[in-house]
Amino acid sequence: MITLTINGKKVVVPVGATILEAALQNGIEIPNLCYDKRLSPYGACRLCVVEVEGQKKLLAACSTPVTEGMEVKTETPKLFKARQTVLELLLVHHPLDCPVCDKAGECKLQDLAFKYCSTKSRFKGEKKHELVDTGSPIVERNSNRCILCGKCVRVCGELQGVGAINLLGRGFASKISPAFEETLDCEFCGQCIDACPVGALGSKPYKYSSRAWFLEAHDNICPYCGVGCTVTYDIRDGKIIRAKGIEGKGINEGNLCVKGRFGFDFIYSKTRLKTPLIKEGDGFKSASWEEALNHIAKKLKAIKDANGADAIGAIGSPRCTVEDNFMLRKFMKDVIGSDNIDSSARFGYAKIQRAVEMSFGLESLPVDFNSPLGKEAILIIESDITSTHPVWGLNFLKAQRKGSFLITADTRETKLTRHSSQWLRLKPGTGTALLNGIIKIAFDEGLYDKEKASRISGLSFLSDGVKDYTSKKVSDITGISEDIFINTAKRFLKAGSRLISLTIGTSEDTKGLNTALAAANLLLLIGEGPASLQMPAEYCNTFGMWHQGLRQGRSGRDIISMLYGEDTVKALYIMGENPAVTFPDASTVDKALRGLDFLVVQDIMLTETAKLADVVLPAASWAEKDGTFICAEGIEQKVQKISQTEGEPVPDWQILRNLSRAMGFEVGAKDISALQDEINEIKTAERTAETIFNPVEYIPGEVPDADYPLTMITGNLMQHSGALSVMSRSLSHVLADAFLQISNADAEKYNVRDEGFVKVASRRGSVMVKARISDEVPQGSVFLPVHFPHAKINTLTHLSLNGEAPLSAVKIEAVK
Amino acid sequence: MEKFLLRNTENPNSADIEEYIKTGGYKNISKAFELQPSDIIEEVKKSGLRGRGGAGFPTFMKWSFASADKKFPKYLICNADEGEPGTFKDRPILEKNPHLLIEGMIISGYALKAEYGYIYLRGEYPYAYDVMNQAVRDAYDKGYLGDNILGKNIKFNLVVHLGAGAYICGEETALLDSLEGRRGLPRNKPPFPVNAGAWGMPTIVNNVETLANIPHIIEIGADAYSKIGFPDCPGPKLYCVSGHVEKPGVFELPMGISLREIIYDYAGGTKNGKKLKAVFPGGISAPVLPADSIDCAMDFVSLPKAGSMLGSAAVMVMDETVCMVKIAHRAMKFFERESCGKCTPCREGTEWLRKILERIENGRGRNEDISLLTDISNNIFGKSFCALGDGAAGVMKSILKHFRAEFEEHIKEKRCRFKQKD
Repeated sequence: MITLTINGKKVVVPVGATILEAALQNGIEIPNLCYDKRLSPYGACRLCVVEVEGQKKLLAACSTPVTEGMEVKTETPKLFKARQTVLELLLVHHPLDCPVCDKAGECKLQDLAFKYCSTKSRFKGEKKHELVDTGSPIVERNSNRCILCGKCVRVCGELQGVGAINLLGRGFASKISPAFEETLDCEFCGQCIDACPVGALGSKPYKYSSRAWFLEAHDNICPYCGVGCTVTYDIRDGKIIRAKGIEGKGINEGNLCVKGRFGFDFIYSKTRLKTPLIKEGDGFKSASWEEALNHIAKKLKAIKDANGADAIGAIGSPRCTVEDNFMLRKFMKDVIGSDNIDSSARFGYAKIQRAVEMSFGLESLPVDFNSPLGKEAILIIESDITSTHPVWGLNFLKAQRKGSFLITADTRETKLTRHSSQWLRLKPGTGTALLNGIIKIAFDEGLYDKEKASRISGLSFLSDGVKDYTSKKVSDITGISEDIFINTAKRFLKAGSRLISLTIGTSEDTKGLNTALAAANLLLLIGEGPASLQMPAEYCNTFGMWHQGLRQGRSGRDIISMLYGEDTVKALYIMGENPAVTFPDASTVDKALRGLDFLVVQDIMLTETAKLADVVLPAASWAEKDGTFICAEGIEQKVQKISQTEGEPVPDWQILRNLSRAMGFEVGAKDISALQDEINEIKTAERTAETIFNPVEYIPGEVPDADYPLTMITGNLMQHSGALSVMSRSLSHVLADAFLQISNADAEKYNVRDEGFVKVASRRGSVMVKARISDEVPQGSVFLPVHFPHAKINTLTHLSLNGEAPLSAVKIEAVK
Repeated sequence: MEKFLLRNTENPNSADIEEYIKTGGYKNISKAFELQPSDIIEEVKKSGLRGRGGAGFPTFMKWSFASADKKFPKYLICNADEGEPGTFKDRPILEKNPHLLIEGMIISGYALKAEYGYIYLRGEYPYAYDVMNQAVRDAYDKGYLGDNILGKNIKFNLVVHLGAGAYICGEETALLDSLEGRRGLPRNKPPFPVNAGAWGMPTIVNNVETLANIPHIIEIGADAYSKIGFPDCPGPKLYCVSGHVEKPGVFELPMGISLREIIYDYAGGTKNGKKLKAVFPGGISAPVLPADSIDCAMDFVSLPKAGSMLGSAAVMVMDETVCMVKIAHRAMKFFERESCGKCTPCREGTEWLRKILERIENGRGRNEDISLLTDISNNIFGKSFCALGDGAAGVMKSILKHFRAEFEEHIKEKRCRFKQKD
């Protein structure tokens, strides 16, 4: 620790802190325009200059490290003059169009000018006359207002790892622009908007919608992925009109991705359900809540009486709160009397959970947001974490920047592969073979923790199990050259601290249970604990839903038995899920849904699934109710009602409680806090952790052949999440259509034009999408994002139950 | 004085490797390889060599900091981005004596345990680029460069990198950014390049002339070297003289020779015997000296006492026909153009200095302009990110200090009297 004096006050700060950090930690404000806690010091604006005893020059507080006994003054007449001149110079060229600038009222330049400047300037200069870049979908750049602090450039390059913009030109002619002054085309995270101290970067959806001083800020948890970011929503007239991250706030510390920042507007979609709907002929008729609930009660009773409780099933939602899912389970158990309850996590998170139980004997394994930092070697298996969990992904980039050896095994080129120390471009779905190969090298070279491993049961099975995974064989399976594989494996095994991360999501098809087990085997063998295996839960409340028991009960049926089997259920109650779009093998699902005697869907919109329902109930969205999300880190976070609703939506838990009452059961839950008390009383059973090696084989998914020669990879885009985000208008401005990503070589081979339509067919069905030729996928593989309902990509996919990656083989045909 | 840095440069084939070897070239490598790397650093310390780039920082100190850092690989970078106006002292080395520089870099690389070297060459030196590249190729062919120099298992690889014409890239951290393929912007210090320079590794950036002195130190020994010229910063020094003199050119003279001797004894005095008015002793970033200050010794110690600095030892001589407002305007035009744009005081300040000077020169000056110039300069000086802003403000302040009357005259008479004389 270092002791110094600031403005006569003694302060103690850690070694390596800068003067500005020391001041901020002790509540002393020093004006600045280019400082950002998340970025390395830049020292450009020269507003944070301070006087230091014994130094002739003024020093920039943001980039001067503190030294023992330093005496700093932050407010003196000399400093006032220096700051005043800097601001005076900045204001000469600034358009001063504050009356029509969205930033007015929260603009740093405005605030500082107010504090330091007089109404007169000694300089009279030309204003800048750059064209405003309005061409990009959601970010608008007005470089006339820019003061060249460079924060946006650094946030984009240093923090986001994108580098879409940079300074062009030199000196006075410097300006910030994408390369060749083209229109901004990036991942549209919007981090630059939050970073901009002035109005040079703005959100298009927010433009001209309010003056800053009319906004009411409310924090809430983001409804998208499992990271659980805290988002600050600005509300006007009961409506969210802007989302922003606030420095240091929440797990995300103020960082947000494109979904979190722009994707909230799905709740204002014109297609929101306003009243309950009851099927009538080919369409629906609006109904009152009373009418709808009584109708459902009557129907469910009749089915239960005729076919027994086992004929009724329910599907919960990882996007609904803990309370909603708890209530659904309670409704099924206490009112219907059935354990037939499950969710889409069956296709994703269930596999992670199974691996965690089998390998580590743990009830759950939350991820740690900061786990990548400080690890010597990180291995990511076929997971595009910067798309599925964008803000967490930033920590992997940060780790690499700070010296971690980042190994990314992925078929596709992603942001992570671009920032990797070593990119292993393997064939799709061969991660298990890669991991087994590394385990074999660990055995062969003695690069494992003999003492710890010998205490784990199954060591000899494991060594037998990987016997065949020679480097040659691994190279043949994965397509990675033998040399690179061996060197990378050794580099990983010899590292002082190691981490493996992978995601298994509903829409990803390159990993299965075996991949997770193989990763666990490897880590246990080399003496690492469960915390070194980071497998995040997929959505905002996947973790909470699973651990509140919304999964197949002991005597119940899972989703596979309910929807895919010979003997499907007769009635299904679906809360906040869209199986017709998001579940694999869409044709089978569609058939099962149509074959139901009775289908109830409660959702915020008339989804593809809801269109098949007998009764549709309008639910409140996440911003229109109180409740709890538990994020992938296992942290419980409250969500609040911050937005008013149009129409009559009701929180999911409340619908279920009311339905229970309509069916003649009193289930308690008189209000949300009573329900939360009830949930809090449940104690989850602790398990004694027992670690076991579970040797696994690499099982290929559907293997390409002469008829279906290409491997299809499905996955997520950075701008979308499941089938929810496509309802957002802002996100749809960035990307609204499905596409097939295909290599140049394959495009030539199959006569596919860029942006031309292709028919993609698997053994189960076919779809039509536009093609995009890209070198992000290698020859032999094609990539399809699954988010877009109209594309029905899941028509092509299939169920996978044997631990393998659920890959599908497809053929393509260009459409004339 | 016996020439060392420009030895044999009258010979039209001096850049040829055979010619260089014939005149004793590359023999200092073998001599150096017999010493321990630390011994060479000690020799450099004893020699008293100070960096020739402009700041005059003791070379051994930079070297010791880099040697003490345990990270590898280390990089040795030759700053050949000779962009300071009026400066052309490194050019004869680069164009006529390239092997001296290479030899100096090989020895320095060995002393610093740096196995990779770069010569960051000024973008406007295309001829030097060709010469240097040919020299590097020849040195590889002869086994002076490569992975096994002279069969002694010593490694030093050298690449010539051509800049793209930005003055700021002569600043060592901006040079590193540019070398790494980024936009050349000065970096924050600390960390200093000796600890985290090119690609985050310990990096020594030395001027061409500094590195070219190394073989001489090895050749004649630190003791003999330290006796050349001014004792506090000894050694041979290249002075490049331009402007209103009879014989402009580069002169290799002992450090500490007086400005008067340089102008009158070597450069042949003022052109047509006109009256001397002012001299920039060290490039345009060094404050101007009036005619009565030319008895000052030209070294890193004496010039600061006289109110200027040695800088790049580019002596720019101006006679009585010169308008100092115009000189200031021309200088500020340069700094405005070359300001990288990173920090506010320099980016915005240099523009305003230029604008105000422009109106004074054109007879549209206002009474408050002199105080405005002073105020802007004071707000750049010591407040800008790097030395570029300090240089601009320093020069502006020095011109105002010595030639204030000329500015007042311009404003009062609303014209430039020098213009009418033309």
